[in-house]
Amino acid sequence: AATFERRVLRRAAEHHYLRVRLELPDGGARPNAAQFKQLVVTALRELHGEVGAALPVDVLTYEEKTLSAILRVISSGLVKLWSALTLLSFYQNRRCAFRVLQTSPFLLALSGNSRELVL
Amino acid sequence: QNILPVCFSVGYSAVALNHVIDFKEKKQEIVKPVSPSELFPSLPIVQGTTKRIKVLTRLTLVVSDPSHCNLLRSTSANIRLYDIIAVFPKTEKLFHIACTTLDVDLVCINVTEKLPFYFRRPPVNMAIDRGIYFELLYTPAIKDSTMRRYTISNAISLMQVCKGKNIVISSAAERALELRGPYDVANLGLLFGLSEGEAKAAVSTNCRATMLHGETRKSACGVVYTVKKPRKVEEEETAVPACKKAKTQA
Repeated sequence: AATFERRVLRRAAEHHYLRVRLELPDGGARPNAAQFKQLVVTALRELHGEVGAALPVDVLTYEEKTLSAILRVISSGLVKLWSALTLLSFYQNRRCAFRVLQTSPFLLALSGNSRELVL
Repeated sequence: QNILPVCFSVGYSAVALNHVIDFKEKKQEIVKPVSPSELFPSLPIVQGTTKRIKVLTRLTLVVSDPSHCNLLRSTSANIRLYDIIAVFPKTEKLFHIACTTLDVDLVCINVTEKLPFYFRRPPVNMAIDRGIYFELLYTPAIKDSTMRRYTISNAISLMQVCKGKNIVISSAAERALELRGPYDVANLGLLFGLSEGEAKAAVSTNCRATMLHGETRKSACGVVYTVKKPRKVEEEETAVPACKKAKTQA
């Protein structure tokens, strides 16, 4: 008889991945990758101060055409990053909004989006 | 007109359009709400399901004087046309009255300035028993950093008294860009001090309970929801307490 052992890992993932899109309705200059990272750090600084701005956030991919990016953040900082992105409203005095499309502790899960299914 | 399509694309399944009535100005009459069918001949479908999106109408009364509350008791025909009624008390006495005796669904908590009164436990507990929800707005937090501080501080003081129960977070968006998705708003609830389950409920189940409470208020004794799908039996059970409360009121 084989013995089974079940292990449940809670919060074992180190990083959380977020797919976000920046909405800039006015047709001005689009930020490049460095400016996008600067924007994310500014958002964190505005809401959570210097400690928030020091949170290790990486921009894994960035598409300038659609202004969408995949961010990686340490799991303990997910709430801070997400709330900072939600409450950001200005980029260089232009109104903008962040839309978080998907979030997951696994990068592979960001490849499929069930909301885009056509029923 | 252009905010609603953004709501639907972001993933909401029910939206309420708000009319604010401020009693400080004279000659305020309650106008008939704009019927949603006039705005949208055909409502789009919720993401991921096959149901249509609900658009409700809502009335907010800004009261700074007890005489303004008489309007709620009058049998003005126009009030009955609104699905949800909310009251925005400006003084402690009015907050007490709104929580204990007024026939409303939501009590709005001011987020744009420092609260002139502190929350006390007895009226808050009575409101929770009666099925009244407290509403917080998040759009001022997006616009201005001073308001952000007031929002968070008022929300935290509310949490200390009500322990996270009966909270609804809503937006007072005037532009499409000021809207945020439901999961983003639930995350903001975590900032206010709610637990994860409570934060998600603040956007989903509590809002639905407010809708049911509004329908209970409209009808004489109660609301019973019957749905065909078996997995939704628990929703019918949440409708039953609303009936019981309405019977004790009426």
